[in-house]
Amino acid sequence: MSISMALFSPPISSPLLNPNPIPKISLSLLSTKRLSLVSLTRASSDNGTSTPASSTVSATTVEAPKPVEEVSVKSPSENGAVGGEETDLTTTTTTEIKFQDAKWVNGTWDLKQFEKEGKTDWDSVIVAEAKRRKWLEDNPETTTNDEPVLFDTSIIPWWAWMKRYHLPEAELLNGRAAMVGFFMAYFVDSLTGVGLVDQMGNFFCKTLLFVAVAGVLFIRKNEDLDKLKGLIEETTLYDKQWQAAWKEPESSSSTVSSKK
Amino acid sequence: MATFTLKSFTGLRQSSPDQTSFISHVPSSLSLPQRRTPLRVSAARSSPNLANRKLRVAVIGGGPAGGAAAETLAQGGIETILIERKMDNCKPCGGAIPLCMVGEFNLPLDIIDRRVTKMKMISPSNIAVDIGRTLKEHEYIGMVRREVLDQYLRERAEKSGATVINGLFLKMDLPENWDTPYVLHYTEYDGKTGATGQKKTMEVDAVIGADGANSRVAKSIGAGDYDYAIAFQERIRIPDDKMTYYEDLAEMYVGDDVSPDFYGWVFPKCDHVAVGTGTVTHKGDIKKFQLATRNRAKDKILGGKIIRVEAHPIPEHPRPRRLSKRVALVGDAAGYVTKCSGEGIYFAAKSGRMCAEAIVEGSQNGKKMIDESDLRKYLEKWDKTYLPTYRVLDVLQKVFYRSNPAREAFVEMCSDEYVQKMTFDSYLYKKVAPGNPLEDLKLAVNTIGSVFRANALRREIEKLNV
Repeated sequence: MSISMALFSPPISSPLLNPNPIPKISLSLLSTKRLSLVSLTRASSDNGTSTPASSTVSATTVEAPKPVEEVSVKSPSENGAVGGEETDLTTTTTTEIKFQDAKWVNGTWDLKQFEKEGKTDWDSVIVAEAKRRKWLEDNPETTTNDEPVLFDTSIIPWWAWMKRYHLPEAELLNGRAAMVGFFMAYFVDSLTGVGLVDQMGNFFCKTLLFVAVAGVLFIRKNEDLDKLKGLIEETTLYDKQWQAAWKEPESSSSTVSSKK
Repeated sequence: MATFTLKSFTGLRQSSPDQTSFISHVPSSLSLPQRRTPLRVSAARSSPNLANRKLRVAVIGGGPAGGAAAETLAQGGIETILIERKMDNCKPCGGAIPLCMVGEFNLPLDIIDRRVTKMKMISPSNIAVDIGRTLKEHEYIGMVRREVLDQYLRERAEKSGATVINGLFLKMDLPENWDTPYVLHYTEYDGKTGATGQKKTMEVDAVIGADGANSRVAKSIGAGDYDYAIAFQERIRIPDDKMTYYEDLAEMYVGDDVSPDFYGWVFPKCDHVAVGTGTVTHKGDIKKFQLATRNRAKDKILGGKIIRVEAHPIPEHPRPRRLSKRVALVGDAAGYVTKCSGEGIYFAAKSGRMCAEAIVEGSQNGKKMIDESDLRKYLEKWDKTYLPTYRVLDVLQKVFYRSNPAREAFVEMCSDEYVQKMTFDSYLYKKVAPGNPLEDLKLAVNTIGSVFRANALRREIEKLNV
């Protein structure tokens, strides 16, 4: 870890005009023991984007990732006369870095560049879009009419999303439900002697089953419990605020408790 | 007719017992104007006519709500006094009015500075979606200057017979009985006494509080508090070539950087644009959000000069008590601003009109004293007509303004034509239009899909953070 950090920091602190730090990274690749991990990431990213490697090795997430080290001066030399009482909006000489990526062409991802073995590798498209959004969340950019963003996530087919997100989670939840179910069935059987088939015929057991399934579905993390309670209150709050006018306060005191 | 002479006898407080005894002697050929149940007392129907005078109603606040209310009252034959503290007030406001307002309130078309027919929604990752393809030729969102609109409505009220007073409402004394008047304390500015004005009082039978988000009338009747958002706006004059882009286009920016629970906007005004944002939960960071909004629109407003900075509170939900005895709140004072879009002008004017109509009806064109049940009719009508709209917008805000993934899904969905059509139909005509069930189903599926994809990308982002 520390070796990779030491080797990765030179590229970052070097002058911003270094467009191609690949040679340095390949050097560090050879000397770190994390060959397998890093080479995997190198394979999935293109030549122009060197940050995927750095971010997955988690060495240099402190600095803003600089895929292509181009500095674009954001303000044309607009030097309108500033009136006495008016504030001029022109920014002068602030250098900002826009999101740039070799695969991001004309405001959308160029799917041809994501091909692997003749078919588009949707996983990498998803990861690339996630990186773009993360970049923009950390460094909000202006929208321009010259380069409008046109990407629509629905071009990624539904099965790609399923495979990547739904199936692993479904597997996890089903696993949990199976474990809970097995041990509850054993437990109830050992206590009451009622076998599995007879348990399913019993109303109480069916209720327990329903509760277990609902619990596994809705409570996936510890925080979910509080979130659910907050959610129920949130859904009814607005209605309560509107109905407040129809509830007469018991005493005609002038200060009424505010419904927050 | 004999019954009328008895009714005009104002010395009688409890008129019904006498009248019922009279009724029993009346031959059946005499037709009675109203039925009276013997034991009921407090309903306004059984209250006596006001002797020698019309009902006096004061409208506090001369914005859209006050102006519309005063006009309807005056046209209904009620003695109306409108008290407004600043006749040339430029209320900081988005200034957007729906199409139906032009028709319903007979607004002249020259009040409208611009007709917005295109909107752009911009997601946190700068995905921009154009909305407005489904609008017909005659449909638009009108952009007005508040000072122009408010002045016009006040003038119309004055022409209908209302008295417009330039004064600041201070407080009012609540009456003890059902027919004693409210005493209003206000400062009148009439130019002669200079800036400080003259303290005066006035007796009125009923009050409509239309004095906005920081309503003093609401405080006087103990209406309770509400949550409010701060809307912060800068008016920026941009170069002409950049202004042509905003000729008939308004922009909405969503994102955590712009606002955690609302949106940032660029609305075109007469000769400049208004760039602003708002928030409920993080009011202290409003300047930061404003900078972020300006940053997101930077390319398009570069070279502009800020000519005015303004801010105003926007209520998020109605006050707990919207009326009390013979005082009713309307407009922002009542809290009738929708969620999600933050629209208030139309609802202010409509509620002012509705409340005034209820007063006119309850007092039978100013002949009788009114009471709380007449005003309750206004509340009932209002809730029945508009509560579904408010509820839908609340749900939209809760679902789609929660987080960046939700906003991304929101913007993605707005590119769908069906969504655009439904949105504009319900915005322009203020009716929650029932859609095509098949399209609704498709929309539901697409919504779930969009939300799922956006959340999946969020999980991917979180994985990258590790």
